[in-house]
Amino acid sequence: MSVFAAILLGLAMGAVFGMALEKGRMCEGGVILCQMQMSRHAMLKMFLSAVATGLIVLAILTGFGFAKLSPKATLFAADVVGGAILGVGIVIAGACPGTVLAQIGSGYRDAIYTFVGGLFGALAFTYLEPNLLKPVLTAGSYGKLTLDQLVGVPFPALALGFAAIIIGFLVWLEKVSPWRAEIGPNADGMPALADAGGLLPPGVKSA
Amino acid sequence: MSILTQRAWSPYLAGIVVGLLQIPAFLLMGTALGTSSSYVTISANLASFVDPSILEIKYAANHVAGAKNWWQVALIVGIALGAFISSRLSGTPRWGHSPVWAKAMGAHTPLRRNMMASLGGFIMVFGARIADGCTSGHGVSGIAQLAIGSFIAVTAMFGAGMIAANLIYKRV
Repeated sequence: MSVFAAILLGLAMGAVFGMALEKGRMCEGGVILCQMQMSRHAMLKMFLSAVATGLIVLAILTGFGFAKLSPKATLFAADVVGGAILGVGIVIAGACPGTVLAQIGSGYRDAIYTFVGGLFGALAFTYLEPNLLKPVLTAGSYGKLTLDQLVGVPFPALALGFAAIIIGFLVWLEKVSPWRAEIGPNADGMPALADAGGLLPPGVKSA
Repeated sequence: MSILTQRAWSPYLAGIVVGLLQIPAFLLMGTALGTSSSYVTISANLASFVDPSILEIKYAANHVAGAKNWWQVALIVGIALGAFISSRLSGTPRWGHSPVWAKAMGAHTPLRRNMMASLGGFIMVFGARIADGCTSGHGVSGIAQLAIGSFIAVTAMFGAGMIAANLIYKRV
């Protein structure tokens, strides 16, 4: 595919992605922070729904031979260390590398700082990678290992089974914690504010 | 149009839409959804104006050009565009900072929040590049491919995130 066609495709797919992130309220730092504090679960619900859908889609695409999986290599040390640093950064920023763009699009100004910080993070990694980070990155390397190879079950079967477990969990989670209450009256992941005698800013609904 | 003017979708519908995006990603691009390597494409291209020798680093050279790299840059630009359109259609545009930060930080000033946002952004992408993926690449796409490395990275991400969220910020 030409670069130009790839860019057009990326823009179109990104617009759908961004709309889903905004409507799912992942553009709210509060939604990310509440999830990491385990008080409300909108992020986990959207995340697991995307994973379950992806499992079903990929079970069909690979099962009928339309596509091949492209899993990332298993690098134990890099996955643990990098994953942990990523998690801390997500909490401090209140955003993920993808959702920060949805924050910018919805209008939050601090998200521009998050994005620029992210560019410098990528640059720092690029300069450090060949020297400082290589030993860490390659420790505990197992290649492109996937769970279906490990347990010896065909990918489509295992993927559909795993998707069913996730869907069952989500049905339970929605029962104990309904999503509308978690999103809040202003759709920002914050609980309803008590109306302090008309002191709320215009446009902010009280409980 | 009414579905586009709603302020919020159920997280299940929103997640299904993201999951379905794997179809064009795999069939047309031969890759899975991801966002964090585009930060390398953008920053290495910008840095090459100041320091052309950055292109001698193999990691930078692998990210500065080609259809897949620019597809992902277009994807994150599209995310901002889609969120902009969505928030305007529903009448939920945001400005300034989310009220959550005043609650989480106690002594909240715009300057302090912007500093935390910059720091958080730096740490977030630095970590994502070490792990070779973020919430979308390792999370949404990696788990959907049952990749062992992605299970490890996502467990580390949520584990460290949960500890940090309770140590760094007040409960919101």
